[in-house]
This record gives sequence, C-alpha cells and structure tokens, in this order.
Amino acid sequence: MGLISEAKLLTRGRDWRGRSRTPRSAEKWAEKVEPKEFPTGWARTPVTGIVRTAIQRGVLKPVAWSQTRVQVEGAEYLDGLRGPAVFIANHSSHLDTPVILGSLPRRFTDRLAVGAAADYFFDARWRAFTTALVFNTFPVERYGSRRLRGLAGKLVDDAWSLLLFPEGTRSQDGWMNPFKLGAAALCLSKGIPCVPIALRGTYGAMPRGRNWPRPGRPKVVIRYGRPIRPDADEGVRDFSFRMMSEVTRLWNEEELGWYQAIRASAAGELSPPTGPAAIAATPAAAESDGAASTDVAVPDPAGAARWRRIWESTRPLDDERPRPVWSRR
Amino acid sequence: MSRPGFVLEVDERTPPLLIHQGEGFRLEGLPLGSKVIYPPDSLPGIRDVNAAIRHALLHPHGMEPLPELLKPGMKLTIAFDDISIPLPQMQTPDIRQRILEHVLELAARKGVDDVELVAANALHRRMTPSELKRAVGERVFRAFFPEHLRNHDAEDKANLVNLGKTDHGEDVELNKRAVESDLLIYVNINLTAMSGGPKSVSVGLASYNSLRHHHNSHTLKHSRSFNDPPNSAMHHSYNRMADLLGGHVKVFTIETTMNNEPFPSAMSFLNKREWEWNLKDQASYLAVKRGNDMLPPKMRRKLWQSSYAPYGVTGINAGAPSQVHPLTLQKVHQQQRVEVNGQSDVGIFGVPFICPYNVNSIMNPILVTSMGLGYQFNMYLNQPIVRKGGVGIFYHPMPNEFHPVHHPSYIDFFEEVLAETTDPAQLEAKYEKQFATDEWYIHLYRNSYAYHGVHPFYMWYWAAHAMDHLGDVIFVGADRRTAGRLGFRTASTLGDALEMAKHTVGSSPEISYLHMPPLTLADVR
Repeated sequence: MGLISEAKLLTRGRDWRGRSRTPRSAEKWAEKVEPKEFPTGWARTPVTGIVRTAIQRGVLKPVAWSQTRVQVEGAEYLDGLRGPAVFIANHSSHLDTPVILGSLPRRFTDRLAVGAAADYFFDARWRAFTTALVFNTFPVERYGSRRLRGLAGKLVDDAWSLLLFPEGTRSQDGWMNPFKLGAAALCLSKGIPCVPIALRGTYGAMPRGRNWPRPGRPKVVIRYGRPIRPDADEGVRDFSFRMMSEVTRLWNEEELGWYQAIRASAAGELSPPTGPAAIAATPAAAESDGAASTDVAVPDPAGAARWRRIWESTRPLDDERPRPVWSRR
Repeated sequence: MSRPGFVLEVDERTPPLLIHQGEGFRLEGLPLGSKVIYPPDSLPGIRDVNAAIRHALLHPHGMEPLPELLKPGMKLTIAFDDISIPLPQMQTPDIRQRILEHVLELAARKGVDDVELVAANALHRRMTPSELKRAVGERVFRAFFPEHLRNHDAEDKANLVNLGKTDHGEDVELNKRAVESDLLIYVNINLTAMSGGPKSVSVGLASYNSLRHHHNSHTLKHSRSFNDPPNSAMHHSYNRMADLLGGHVKVFTIETTMNNEPFPSAMSFLNKREWEWNLKDQASYLAVKRGNDMLPPKMRRKLWQSSYAPYGVTGINAGAPSQVHPLTLQKVHQQQRVEVNGQSDVGIFGVPFICPYNVNSIMNPILVTSMGLGYQFNMYLNQPIVRKGGVGIFYHPMPNEFHPVHHPSYIDFFEEVLAETTDPAQLEAKYEKQFATDEWYIHLYRNSYAYHGVHPFYMWYWAAHAMDHLGDVIFVGADRRTAGRLGFRTASTLGDALEMAKHTVGSSPEISYLHMPPLTLADVR
C-alpha cells in the first residue's frame, strides 16, 4: 500500500485536526482530559493593549453602534470610581461585552479583563487567541473545577478591573438567571467595589444562535448603577443578593423610570426579571371554553411557555423616554 | 486510575483499527457492528521495585521470611524463568536480575556457599551467555557463570531424578540438583494466567519423560482454556505433579506480574485506542509503518527483536506456591480481563511478531500456528470468543522461514510430518516418539541452541483445541503454499476472508476482534 493510500486510510473518519469522534460504545470509557490552560498573560502586555484598544475603538464599537442604537445611561456614576472594580451584568447575548466595552470610559477599558467560560471560549486555540486579543478575556471555570481558581484574584491584585457575568452563561430566553457566588466572593475577599450593569435589548438584537445583530438597528440600553461596596459584616450570599437587586432595579428602570424603580425596589416590590408567569386556567375559564374537563391547570413553576418568554424578551424597547418623576399621572 | 477493558461495537464513527501481522501491522476497517475487545489500560507500575522485593522476601505468604530459611552449609538452588517470558524482552534491569540480587545478598550475609542458578528452560533452547547475562545482570553473571549459572538440561540423565508417579500415573522427573537442594527458590515472571504456580518447577525443570503427560494433544484439547487453570486439564496435571513434588522439595517461589506496556515510547500508539490517537500518534504510525514496510526482512526482524518492553512491575509476592499464585492470578486478571457478552461466529486475531519461542529468532509457520491458534485463541475464560464451528481469521504473512540453529526439528516436522497429516492426535501417535528420542536433535538441544526435537509437536498440540473448535481457519496476507501445508486457507483481504467464511457462518456473521497485544483475556459469558 502506497503512502497516499495509507494516509487516506489513516485519516478516514478523522477531521482536519486528525481527531476521530469517539465511537458510541466507547463514550463511557472516554478519557477525561483536563484541557491545558491557555496562557493569557501576553494579552495584558502594553503592546497588546494598544492593539486591543485600536480594535475595540476602531472596529468593534463602530460596528456595534452602527448595527444597533445604543443608549448609555448612568455612566456618570463611574466618575468617582478609582482602582480595580468588578463590573457585573446580566448576560443574554454575545453583544453584551462589545456594548459594555464600547460604553465604558477608556480609563476602565485600558485595564479591564473579561471573564470568559473556559469550556467555551478556551476550548479551541484560535477562539482563545481571538477573544483574548480583542476582549482581554481570561478563562473562568464554570463547573467547579479547581484548575483556574485564583486567576481572577491575581488580576485584581495586579490592579485589573474585571467584567464578569455572574449568571455563568448567556440566558436561553433573554430573562435573568440566579447569580453564582464567585463575583460576590471576589469583591468580599479583595474589598473592592462592584458596579452593577443592566443590559436591555441585547437578546432581542442578537440572541443565542445569531452571530450578527438582526437588521433594523434595534435599540439596546445599557444602564450603569452606583458602585456598591460590601459591608464589613456582610456575607457572600447577602452581597450577591444585593448585586442582583441592583441589577434588577436597573433592569426595571426601563419601564418604571429611575425614581419609581428606586421606590419599588425600596418597597421590596421588585423581583428578578425571570420572565412572565404562567397563568393558571380556572375551572370557570375551562367551562366557558366548553372543555369537558374540570381539572384546574397547575401553574408551571418554570413560568410561562417558552414561546411566551421569548416573545416578551424580544419585544422591541419603547423609544419614548420614561415618564418624568414629576408626572401627575 | 486505569480504565477497565471494554468491548467496542464498531459504528460509523469508528476509525480503521490496528491489527498486528507479524513484523508489522495494518489498519483495517471492520464491518459495522463488529465487537472489538480492548484490554484494560496499563496499570501503574510499582515505583520502588527494590522496596517491594525486600518486603516480599521478608513478609512471604505461608512460609518463614527468606533470611530464616537460609543457613550456612545449606544447598541452595535458584531457578528462574527462561527467555520465553516476558514478551518482548523487558528493558534492563530485568526483574529477574533485581530479585536475584536481593536473594543473593541475603544468602551471602547468611554465609550460604553452595548456590546454583538454573534457567528453567525445560525443552526450550538453552539461553546463550549474553542472554543469560541480560536476564540476571552483570554482577550475578560474573559471580556465577559458567560453573554455577547454567541452563537446565532435560536430557542429562545423570542429573535428573524420578520422584515417582502421581495417582494418574504421571512420571515426575526433575532436575536432580533442584530436588536435592535444602531450598529451591523459583523466580517467576507471570505474563499470562497460564504461567507460574504449579507450572514453574514441574514444567521448567522437568524432562521429556515428565512433560509428555500434560504436553499432549488429548490434554491440550481439553484445556479450555489453558489460561483458565480451573478449567485446564493441563493445569490439573501440573497440580498433581506439584503435590507429589511438595513432599520432596521445599520451594520458595517469588512471582511477579507486569503491566500492559509491551512497546517502547516511539511506538506508544500501539498501546492506545485508535480514536484517541493524536497527530503525533498518527505521524508515528505512518513513519513506522512506511519505514518498516521498506526495510529488508532481516533488518526488520532485528529491529523488532531489539525493541525492549518498558514493562512496569505491578506485583511481587513470595512464599509457598499454593498461597502466592492466587495473588498473582488476581493481578494478571486485573490487568488483562475483559468481560465479553456472548460468542461470535467469526473471531479475528492479529498475530504479532513474537511468541515465547522466537525471541532473538524467527517466527516460523509452526510458531505462527502456536501463537495464533494456541496462545491467542486461548486468551479466554469460560468459553472461546468464537462459537463452536465458527471461523478464525488470523493475520500473519507466514513466510516459509525457519531458524536453522534454533528450530532444526521444526524444519523436518514441516517438511515431513505435516506433509502427511495435520491431525494432532495422528502425528502424535505416529511421529512424536521418533522426534523426541532422535539422537541428533538431542545432541543439538544439549550442545547447540536448538529446541528439543519434540518441541514442534508441542506447538502443534497447543493449537489442538482451536483446531477442534473452529470450523474454518483463514490466514489473511499469508503465504499460500506455506499456509496450505499447515491445512489453512488464505485470503488477501478481510473482505475476501469474510466471503470465504460465508460457507461456514453465513453472509452476516457476528464478528469479534481480540485487540492484542497488549494482552487481553476475554471473560466470555
């Protein structure tokens, strides 16, 4: 057998990297290989920083701003902020990071590292390289591996601010998921402030599965809140709860306006935006529909049907300004 | 933690799989649905082998610690397994050397002067001085060779002693020096489940008169398998002999087990599952395969024979053979056993470049038969991987080549005996005694480096069970005339072989491929 036919036989069923899929019956016995840590130190050097700034300001922001109508609110709250901080935001789209980086002042973006899922952004070298170069990402383990624990702390020690998405992954339907505790624990252990950010409209503009914003320059709102600091006797869970409350309040400012949102939050009337609730069918409703069954439909604890959740989260944002606080109505 | 062995079911994701074929290998796309039996991953070797040896000698099973058994003025004989194991030869230092050095250190401290070292080669060829030196190490060799480091001579009537007959009428005739010693220490390497235990002394140090009782076609046909001692008629005979022997000799056995690392790092892809090959493995495969195919046969053989295995030692146990051997078997099973659900119509076996009888030699057609239909077919517990009447497909080029020094009687066996019959019982009845007692063969066995005259018969008996069990035997890629002499059919490709097998097993047979080496022991339920 010649070399070419031998090579053909060898590469049969393998991809261009020479990898074969694991036969189904062997999947149970597949070796769990801990992926090697992709080095990201080079992405935080001054030279790479210059290149990154050029990409972010010269390409990323113009593209994002040309494809969407970005409205930035509350950036003035960052004026007095000094030193490293943890920026946290709800996460529902790959558009989130460009919008945040494009709206933050340069004094933050020049020294900002973005936490990115090690299992997604760092599983292939080309993806790891690109995201590290453009966004200054560093790998974050989402599933309890201890491999990379401590990297975020080291960055903070080196005076880098961090952008983290405490939900751990992009939302499936545009609504918020509970926060993981890592970001709060970091703020507590390092004694640094946290800047809450709420993003609205990014899911509608570029949901999961899209790699470019939908046509029509959809509106996107990014709303910064006042930096919050952990109290001396505050626990990780308490601080994480406060972080989520702040993001919830900022989220609701879109509909309620600034003052009403503060009032509703203070009155404990705001709950995290987890999507529309299921509406239970009542026996009366069933009868009026002429249905034979008299059973009462049990509300789905996960909320309304999937289509309704997506329907609501992709509802275009109202272009009108919220009602002023002095409105009579 | 090493992964256990498992049975792969070939699906559309499965890449072509590696099959050994003599001094080479190939990739073969097996039909969808074929079962492939993979051995467990190699177990980690013991880190501090010297400490493990010391511990075994000082804390033996069922006997006093070795230092307490050694006394000044005593007669001490140390026998050790010959060059037939491990396969391939292990990288130095050989485990026999390490153990011998520890044992001799203890003997020296106790002031034992009368020490003899014997290679337990039975009817195998004698080990050459350089082979002995490689096995026992420079220091031992220098201190004992040639007067007190020797090969066992199964034809030296003056130095054999008959201990009587077992209750089945089997003669037990052994090395006189070993039997008359105050203590016989046996250093074993247990590569497969058939070795060690009662086999060590009663086979390794025996004569033809003794060996003929278990090395015969009837016993081998009823050893199912000979790697499953409770179900092996051959091992039942060993046990009876060992019981008789126990009344005459005090045996302190030291048994060792190896992991599944038969190939050096340059060929580590041979140890890996094909879908886990990385680019380096694939490049190594192409380079080794192409280079190997282009080499002249002699150089190719030399290279394969000088590839030494980086075996790790997984267990060392010492003491009374009956108590040590179960522990050894446990380790062997841990490394090699794979549970297989049911038999198949067709069994595929890739015959590798080496068997116990062609170390530094040529794997002639009779040894190919013994390796494929003997050793590999018998790598099972409970029942063969192929059903009764099924087809065995073996891969080997089977050239008509013999080593004239090592295997002289094989040449005559091939030319004269097999030309007349291939039936193990018939050739045993008609020719065995003639070959076993031939003066020329005995002379070559004793003074040259030839296997005993009867040895090719034993190799043929080794395959008796498979010949009895299988409905058809097809060799892929084998020399047609040579295979024809042995009574086997040949095919150029697996597709042709399966086409030929149709007559026996139909057009859509169940297929099992025993993926070895490394060693795989199929526990077929």
